[in-house]
Amino acid sequence: MESTTQHISAQGGPGTAPGPLPVCAAAQTGGLRGGREDRAPRRPGSAARPSAASPACLLAARFALAVLAVACLCMLAAPHAAWAQEAAEAEEGSAVAECAAFGVSGFTRYNTGAARLVDGEDVGYRYPLPEDCTLVLVNTDEGVYVHVDETAAARAGFAPDDAGDFEALRVILEQLDEEASKGGALLADDPGTSWTVTTGDEVEVGAARVRFAVEAGGRRYCSVVPADVPAGMTPQEAAAAQGIDLGDAVRWVEGGQIVAAREIARAEAPTAPDQLAAFFANLDLRPLWVSLKTSGVALAVTFALGLLAAWRTMGTSSRLKGLLDSVFTIPMVLPPTVCGFLLLLVFGQATPVGRWLIDHGVALVFTWPAAVLSAIVVSFPLMYRTALGAFESLDPQMLDAARTLGWSEGRIFRRLMMPLAWPSVAAGTVLAFARAMGEFGCTLFFAGNYAGVTQTIPIAIYFEWMSGNTDVALFWVAVVIALSFAVILFINVYTARSQRYRARGITRGGRRQDAGAPPAAQQATDTVRLDQEALRALLAQPADGAEAAGDKGHAARQSGEKGRR
Amino acid sequence: MHKVISRRALGALASAAMLAGVLGGCSTQATTTGAEGSAPADGSPAANAVELQIFAANSLEKAMPEVEKLYTERTGVTFADTQYKGSGDLVEQMRGGAPVDILITASSGTMDDAAEADLVDEATRQDMFVNDLVVVRAAGSDIQVNALEDVAAVDGNIAIGEPGAVPAGKYANQALASVGLYTNPEGEDGAYADSIASKVVEADKVGTAAQYVATGDCAIGFVYTSDVYRYDGIEVAYTCPDDSHKPIVYPGAVAASSKNAEAAADFLEFCMTDEDALAIWAEYGFELA
Repeated sequence: MESTTQHISAQGGPGTAPGPLPVCAAAQTGGLRGGREDRAPRRPGSAARPSAASPACLLAARFALAVLAVACLCMLAAPHAAWAQEAAEAEEGSAVAECAAFGVSGFTRYNTGAARLVDGEDVGYRYPLPEDCTLVLVNTDEGVYVHVDETAAARAGFAPDDAGDFEALRVILEQLDEEASKGGALLADDPGTSWTVTTGDEVEVGAARVRFAVEAGGRRYCSVVPADVPAGMTPQEAAAAQGIDLGDAVRWVEGGQIVAAREIARAEAPTAPDQLAAFFANLDLRPLWVSLKTSGVALAVTFALGLLAAWRTMGTSSRLKGLLDSVFTIPMVLPPTVCGFLLLLVFGQATPVGRWLIDHGVALVFTWPAAVLSAIVVSFPLMYRTALGAFESLDPQMLDAARTLGWSEGRIFRRLMMPLAWPSVAAGTVLAFARAMGEFGCTLFFAGNYAGVTQTIPIAIYFEWMSGNTDVALFWVAVVIALSFAVILFINVYTARSQRYRARGITRGGRRQDAGAPPAAQQATDTVRLDQEALRALLAQPADGAEAAGDKGHAARQSGEKGRR
Repeated sequence: MHKVISRRALGALASAAMLAGVLGGCSTQATTTGAEGSAPADGSPAANAVELQIFAANSLEKAMPEVEKLYTERTGVTFADTQYKGSGDLVEQMRGGAPVDILITASSGTMDDAAEADLVDEATRQDMFVNDLVVVRAAGSDIQVNALEDVAAVDGNIAIGEPGAVPAGKYANQALASVGLYTNPEGEDGAYADSIASKVVEADKVGTAAQYVATGDCAIGFVYTSDVYRYDGIEVAYTCPDDSHKPIVYPGAVAASSKNAEAAADFLEFCMTDEDALAIWAEYGFELA
């Protein structure tokens, strides 16, 4: 995306030809650039602000989500929009000068060469050249040398002797060089450099000779050889004998074709939606699927294991419980990298345990199951702790009451504990899911960073930023923020709903019971009490029912006595 | 109401059971995948389709994908997600049991480690590229470094790769040791001189060091010449003399555990001899050894 096109005016180089040209050049580039860059970054911030002030909670939340998405898109679009204005109508790797009849296309920059032989032939230290290359630029410590093919130059309407053409070419080449520089040094960095345009085949630079277009092995190269190659020696032998480092003689080489301006295809300046479309077309969405898949499966295990562990731990003796509790909770306290390291030790090839496992078909390291296991390990404590907390806050008298009714432990868990603890369990589940989605250290350690396999969104963010793809990293940040927002919103909405349902349930129960029903105000404040209320309502219901009313009423009374003891 | 609750409980249990079932299915799958010992390289069902897993030095991150693309166009051989990390990390990852076909590191030392651990096939080892160590600054910054000694006087942090895992960091420390700013001339297990000790920021790979400078978190950083071409916003402030550090070479070798050793060797050969591949290396500033 970055190296699209440049529309260059034939001016801008220092100390150049007279005429109306300088005015048109300065006005075009300067004006557009400054205005655009100033405006772009401000968009997201100003758009996001009003959402915070909105009153209606849920509406505001939805609105904020939408604004967030738009803001993110703007952020992504902003740099591209700036480009779109600046760039104009020539295809990639080409440029035309407005006030000249020629242009350059197929431009490539080669930052290093190679001393290797070409088809067994020693042509010196050689730089590759693009196909059908008619223009070669060589940047040396002594100046910039531009070789143009004579016939191609004539056809393109370029006159090497004409000062205006020369300056136009220099501006074109400096622009193309900047596009092709990949962040390296630029020709334009040093305005004082002397430029030489030649149609000759070679030029002497210090102790080296640059040959602009050498045919070898069916291709053309720009090669550097010693200025003085004694007969019977190959260029590299001569360089070695004379102590010349051919690779240091030239900074870099660029090649392209000099053509008439009309031959350069005019490309439409891409519009902002096009840029955005291109961004999304090139975007690798696999981290999202990997993340969802990994945390989804991890959550399934965590949910089952976490509930089971919480339920089982609850009933055990206090000393054993303390131990189990520590073991189950420790992954939450440990840095994730420690978990990852331990997993790597257990399953990796570095330890006897790992080797034994691998020999027996359990090779997990750097695979997708490893990512799942990492997510399970870090999310499990969250599920376990919330479930345990919820179960322990249930009134033991109620559980005992159920036992006296002859309910099995399993039935108590299913029918009593789960429904009563459900809001907490649901919140714990969502938290565990969020934690699994956000897992970074352990996954990176144990499962590595394989795009499409173990590369989850957090890992993608880190590596995209590290490899300089800031816009992609930003996109994933936006996705994560949106997802987290959705998760929190879900918890809030769900809690609100479940409390509405509870309030309704209690009023109904209260209506059936006579006096002594708790005042409505109390219900919203004390969750433990709420649970008791709900339980009482629950136990009261069958007593009112048609069948076995007497028996159950008796049992309930019994349980009350037991509790008092 | 009783009914409502029990239905919920039932629903929760049912979904838990379903999820557990899904997991059961997954874990069986996991075992079979693991048994093949090439999980990340999976997804190539056709019997004759070759997929190569490359571990390459971090500095090759931008150039290597283009060469891989070219090779895929030519031969149909595909590539699993190539890992670009600090060379030391790559060797550790191989040691950890990651399936690999080709290893390319940024120093002889790290390749020696891999060879000692029998991770690579010594017969296929060859020096692929050479590189230069440079001091970079943010583009447009007015920091001047005209000699290695000037590093001590720079106002701001200095990004250096962690010498254990990042060869560029080791070379940097060797260069610093040549002017007395680091204690160990080997470039590892030493200490920085007091004048720079508090300013050194260690990076987990050479690209991170470059990125620290590009974002302005560090004033200067020690990276390779080729890194300047893959990160925007940094420029060379000073090129370290060749005699200030060990020669920077990138050895490549076929992994000992490779199941596609022949195809891997072919690709290495392609990297070093095909003129179109050479043109890509030249664009990104990698000089062939």
